[in-house]
Amino acid sequence: MKLACTFTAVWLLASSQPLFAHTPLFDCFDNGDDTLTCEGGFSDGASATGVGVRMVDAQGKVLEQGKLDAKGSITFKRPAGGFSVVFEAGAEHALTVLGDDIT
Amino acid sequence: MQPRSFQLKALPLLLGVALGAVAIPAFAHFLVVYTPQTALVRATDLPFHLVFTHAFNGGPSMAMDKPQRFYYAKRSAPNEQIEEVDLARYLEPIQWAGEQGPVSAWKATVPRNVVRSLGDYQIVVEPTPYLEEAEGLYIQQFAKVMVNVGGVPGNWSETLGLPAEIHSLNKTYANWTGGVFRGVVLGNGSPVPYTQVEVEYLNHDLDVANNTFVADGKIDAPHPSLAAIVILTDANGQFSFTLPKAGWWGFAALSVGPENEYNGKPLSQDAILWVQATDLPQ
Repeated sequence: MKLACTFTAVWLLASSQPLFAHTPLFDCFDNGDDTLTCEGGFSDGASATGVGVRMVDAQGKVLEQGKLDAKGSITFKRPAGGFSVVFEAGAEHALTVLGDDIT
Repeated sequence: MQPRSFQLKALPLLLGVALGAVAIPAFAHFLVVYTPQTALVRATDLPFHLVFTHAFNGGPSMAMDKPQRFYYAKRSAPNEQIEEVDLARYLEPIQWAGEQGPVSAWKATVPRNVVRSLGDYQIVVEPTPYLEEAEGLYIQQFAKVMVNVGGVPGNWSETLGLPAEIHSLNKTYANWTGGVFRGVVLGNGSPVPYTQVEVEYLNHDLDVANNTFVADGKIDAPHPSLAAIVILTDANGQFSFTLPKAGWWGFAALSVGPENEYNGKPLSQDAILWVQATDLPQ
């Protein structure tokens, strides 16, 4: 539910901007082996290769960070505590997926 | 491209339907490839039911052998190669109930981890040819349905090189009710001009728990031509159709594939594409 709200909020924000056709999209999945994979892209099909992704804890401390690969994908080790993953697609277009929503 | 014998056969059928002499037009066969929702915000298990039937009337349905192929084609990023993933391992035989008794059909639950990535999935069924004894011919309908996860577009506009295929010019999963859907009929990869495209509404919901169609249809067609709608492609093989109601719309181009014989009998290689229309939120 939290994720749905996040998506909706981001979508509404993006739709009010001139860059509507370039809405960022992002999601993460648990791989079942103590790792998680996140994927990003854009609504117009543009490549997200090289876009930054960071994993932060509940206090905002960066736990891991990197850039999406040629497939728009990045894999992290899953941390023990609460966390979230942020897709850094521009100042107004950062997307956050909460760790609890990554299954 | 369309065999003369098939075209000639269709005319008396059409007349028969118009006169009320034939209850179900034989040309209205549709391979239904059903999954409840094709525009997914997040990945989930994908249930499918494969039923060879008459879509608008919700039957009669025909026995369906195990498909020759059941797979998806996906391009994970703009510069990546198309990946084909076999889904046949998930097929399970079922008995699909109908007024004429049960017939063999198929279901599958494709697990989330196989379809979890963002983007487009072109799901393809290449069936084993079905012998339509009444017409003395085999029917093989190459059917496509597309699912999108997360809104990232992928290979929805790309063709897959099927013998008979409808090239989608709109995303099949992103159509408001009242929007125009466009496509191009391809036979062996080439546009087929001035060929018939049958358009049918999936008028009976699927009762997937009981492997049957819901008895009551959503609409009553006041005339046979409004149940199995027939339009023609233009000189470039293109067609367009305004989607008047939310739900599933099937498009079928008959006998456009290159092979015209199977087991010593005529073969009709057809192209099927399913399109989902969504009502505007109130």
